[in-house]
Amino acid sequence: MIGDLVKGLATTVRYMFRKPVTIEYPEVKRPVRERFRGKHELKRFENGMERCIGCSLCSAACPSDAILVVPAENNPQQPNSPGERYAATYEINMLRCIFCGYCEDACPTNAIVLEHQYELSYYDRRASIYTKDMLLVPPDQGHGAIPPVLEQVNRTPSPPAQIEL
Amino acid sequence: MAEIIITVDGVQITVPDTMNVVDAARLAATQIPVFCYHPRLPAVGMCRMCMVAIGMPRIDRDTRQPMLNEHGKPIIQMFPKLQPACTTRVADGMVVITNSEEVKFAQNGVLEFLLTSHPLDCPVCDKGGECPLQNLTMEWGPGNSRFDYSDKVHFEKPYKLGDLINLDRERCILCSRCVRFQDDLADDSVLGFDQRGRKWHIISKSDPPFDSKFSGNTTDICPVGALTTSDFRFRARAWELTSVPSLCNHCAVGCNTTLDMRHNQLQRVMPRDNAAVNDIWICDKGRFGHRFIEREHRLTTPLVRRDGQLQPATWDEALDVIATNLRAIQAAAGGAALAGLAGEHLANEDLFLFQRLFREVLGSNNLDTRTGVPGEYALDDVGYQYGVGVGTNLMDLGKGTAVLVFGADPEEEAPLYMLRLRQIVTQGGSLIVANPRPTKLDRSATQTLHYRPDSEREVLLALLKLVSAETKQIPQRTTGGAELKGTLEQTKLDAVAKLSGLEQAALAQAAQTILAAEHLLIVYGADVLVHGASLSALLANLLILRGKVGLANSGLIPLLARGNSRGALDMGVRPDKAAGYAPLKQAGLTAREMWPAALAGKLRGMYLMGSDPVASYAPARAALDALAFLVVQDTTLTATAQLADVVLPGTNVAEYDATYTNAERRVQRARLARKVYDASKPNWEIVQAVAQALQGELVLAGAASSTTVTRTVGGNGKSGDGVQGKLTLTTSTASPVAAQESWDYITVGEVAADIADLVPGYAGITHTALAQTAQTKEWGRQANEDYFYDGTSYTNAEGVGLQVPAGAELPKATFDLTPPPATKVPASSTYPFALLVQTLAYRNDPFLHDSLLQSHIPAGYIALNTADAAQLGIAAGAQVQLTSAAGSLRGTARVVPDLPAGCVLVPGGLVDLPVATIQTGALTRVAVSSVAE
Ligand code: SF4
Ligand code: SF4
Ligand code: SF4
Ligand code: SF4
Ligand code: FES
Repeated sequence: MIGDLVKGLATTVRYMFRKPVTIEYPEVKRPVRERFRGKHELKRFENGMERCIGCSLCSAACPSDAILVVPAENNPQQPNSPGERYAATYEINMLRCIFCGYCEDACPTNAIVLEHQYELSYYDRRASIYTKDMLLVPPDQGHGAIPPVLEQVNRTPSPPAQIEL
Repeated sequence: MAEIIITVDGVQITVPDTMNVVDAARLAATQIPVFCYHPRLPAVGMCRMCMVAIGMPRIDRDTRQPMLNEHGKPIIQMFPKLQPACTTRVADGMVVITNSEEVKFAQNGVLEFLLTSHPLDCPVCDKGGECPLQNLTMEWGPGNSRFDYSDKVHFEKPYKLGDLINLDRERCILCSRCVRFQDDLADDSVLGFDQRGRKWHIISKSDPPFDSKFSGNTTDICPVGALTTSDFRFRARAWELTSVPSLCNHCAVGCNTTLDMRHNQLQRVMPRDNAAVNDIWICDKGRFGHRFIEREHRLTTPLVRRDGQLQPATWDEALDVIATNLRAIQAAAGGAALAGLAGEHLANEDLFLFQRLFREVLGSNNLDTRTGVPGEYALDDVGYQYGVGVGTNLMDLGKGTAVLVFGADPEEEAPLYMLRLRQIVTQGGSLIVANPRPTKLDRSATQTLHYRPDSEREVLLALLKLVSAETKQIPQRTTGGAELKGTLEQTKLDAVAKLSGLEQAALAQAAQTILAAEHLLIVYGADVLVHGASLSALLANLLILRGKVGLANSGLIPLLARGNSRGALDMGVRPDKAAGYAPLKQAGLTAREMWPAALAGKLRGMYLMGSDPVASYAPARAALDALAFLVVQDTTLTATAQLADVVLPGTNVAEYDATYTNAERRVQRARLARKVYDASKPNWEIVQAVAQALQGELVLAGAASSTTVTRTVGGNGKSGDGVQGKLTLTTSTASPVAAQESWDYITVGEVAADIADLVPGYAGITHTALAQTAQTKEWGRQANEDYFYDGTSYTNAEGVGLQVPAGAELPKATFDLTPPPATKVPASSTYPFALLVQTLAYRNDPFLHDSLLQSHIPAGYIALNTADAAQLGIAAGAQVQLTSAAGSLRGTARVVPDLPAGCVLVPGGLVDLPVATIQTGALTRVAVSSVAE
């Protein structure tokens, strides 16, 4: 009987000197996996331009109709994005979103990316609608050069194709 | 047209021998992909997308018979190369193969080649989602490309072809559909090709650029996103739109449209296919001129005048004030002291209830749709009596058809008729265009007659004389033949020729065309409508003499002012006739008579629905000010509404379900497309609410009237003309109880059903019957193959509408040949010039507010003939003054060689040149003088 008691206490004592598994959330946050799908971010190019061109393809792909895009025409002097079109309004309703990532797949410019932020709770329903300024990353966090398909506006006609015989 | 048998992919079908292989294959449910071919345009074979293998039976040279093989089947000899299906006509025994490896190889090749210079910007392209290039690539494309991406050709974009249309030269596949539409259908050759090779692209050749009233249609038929409109630029993706069937209300054509909505907002207007009305086209006014639907500053709540200010009020309060005051005026001065004006753009249901309210509840016949402007259109009954018969379809007309366009400029007054009439000529019909001045339609005419202004009557009498000389037999039930004969005997052809400036031979030629016609259509417009029956009855006489009355594809087509002008006349919103043209014992006041009556205190209260007389006719302001009580129902606070005692927030065509009647008396239905603003209500509901409030008031009238009358009338300082004594209710009002029962419509369909019951001619035209005229089962964007061929036009699942029979089609109709008396304004030496007022499509019209067309409204000008200008010493651009008996007007001179001498041409409806201020009637005579700088 005494032996059983000692055995139990020994386990307790053993664990007392181990590193605890409890994480003191919210002071400490548990890291997520590389491909975790959390809150969306609207990305930018290296020169600070928005990647999103307001094409609504993410919204068309979304199975839960969580995305609203209202496009508009870029001011050629001060374009928001490469090309003629940008998203004037971009909203995601996080209560509707099921974090499936289809929007990310649909996006032709890799503008919308599901990132690692998972703290999505609200005091009222309206707060679950994330607007464009909440989703768009700051201008200095762009990465990647503008692909040629979006750079067409600035290009002059190219010479006829070279034919190799 | 013979029927022949061809075989498409093993399926035998019988087709007319005039068809090309693409259309014939469609009948066999086989789709041949096309880019440049369009069923409404002549085939040119530019894109090579439609290549198919074609074979013909081998013919024995000796017997000229097909050679047979051992099974007794004809031996088919295939052409050595693939053939373009769009430019190949079918022939008897032809064999078409569309699914062989060879054909697929060609289709893959064409698509791969087209995509080498295509930018692939579908995500930002307004055509994406309804693009034939996308669809054909998915179905027939190779799926990959051997082309080096960085070698793509690039152009600067966007490139504006005009302020309405953008061209993306990278996307253009150079199919020339747009060029051919402008050249062949619209007759505005404003587009063309420029450069060669990879720089080959579309340009606009006109100044101002893309100067055509039909430019928007090119964006529909462009098979790629090369042509897009500025109006819809980046507004939404095609799949996000909800399409609502509607109608264009701008002119009397009544084009079928689709309002593409998103978030309760109008994104774009598209044509809806209706062969009998607009085919698959609409004009730019219909496409771009509908932004008024969401105008800012809409009325959202009733307003009632308190302490001299219009202040928001509840419906109950507003209706109460209306009922009390209208009843008080009625009790004091009789129904004749009340009058109503309604806009011609409103629906049949609104107008029917409006006239019921006045005739049955208020006991007044003082109703009109006009505003009393001198030179406005007369009430057009002739156009109903001898209008085109039921079953008329301009699409089918061609050989054997003669069209006489008299005193009309269809391009400005009813643009779509340009396309329809030109099509008749293309299909072999004759077109006589008779006008005092040149119009664009002249270019398509088989004969043009430019008569001198004010010789219309003589010209028509001369034509009648020539036609009657050859007429053996006039139809039965015709009266007035003797009177006509008398008048025609006095008409001397040489005198007419001298007066009108037309050759006698030209008149004879026109008469021959009219005599030879199997179908005779007479289109008349502003120049005739201002004179009313005195001219239109003579046009009708031509039809009667030819026996072309009450028949399909023959008759009159009046180019009335607005989308429902005919409906307003049918519904009896007019002083002289009740609904269905039933004559009244005692006619009421016309709009023109209302203003003096109001100033004289005889007219005390008015109810204006969708009518803004202050804007169109300035003197109306004083008359409206003099009224004791004014109700205005409109969508915005118009100049007239600002004078009102009560303002009611109405609705526009997109905001309620209703029916409208077009120039050819086709009743069509528009659907609710957007939610109404706050407290505004459909117009017919408001009229009903007013009627109900008035009936409530009737019970109390005995108790309340005396006090109210003193308050209202006394408040305006106009009591004391002793009207209290002569209480004359002129109507045969049914007993109040019975009347009350009939004001309980719950849906608009019930009003339409009542119209069908009560208005002769509308029998059977209920909403259910209209719905049964639908062309397909399901509504929406076309899922069928038409989509590839016909651009983005929409099939008509809402219904193509039903025609109301013309008066002449009724069983007991009689035809009156009596020539109406001449109404001449004698020329005088003080005012030597005839004033021609031109109706413009783009004018200062509240319905064009907020649209891109605003910039297309011209600045006012006064056009003079070159000789006249030289004689008066007036140079182009100089300031000139026009003086008439009514006043004077200054404007900038324009000198044009092709205007007839002795007249000045001034565009109407412009704010910077309000020509109405100097008009004295149907024809105004003016003096022209130059103004010293
Ligand atoms: S993750 Fe899925 S559900 Fe969420 S917005 Fe994207 S597509 Fe819609
Ligand atoms: S996020 Fe991507 S898919 Fe969505 S609108 Fe922007 S560019 Fe298009
Ligand atoms: S603009 Fe469109 S319709 Fe015109 S040629 Fe190019 S592709 Fe054809
Ligand atoms: S032709 Fe007349 S009805 Fe048709 S779209 Fe143009 S303005 Fe509207
Ligand atoms: S060549 Fe036949 S459709 Fe273009």
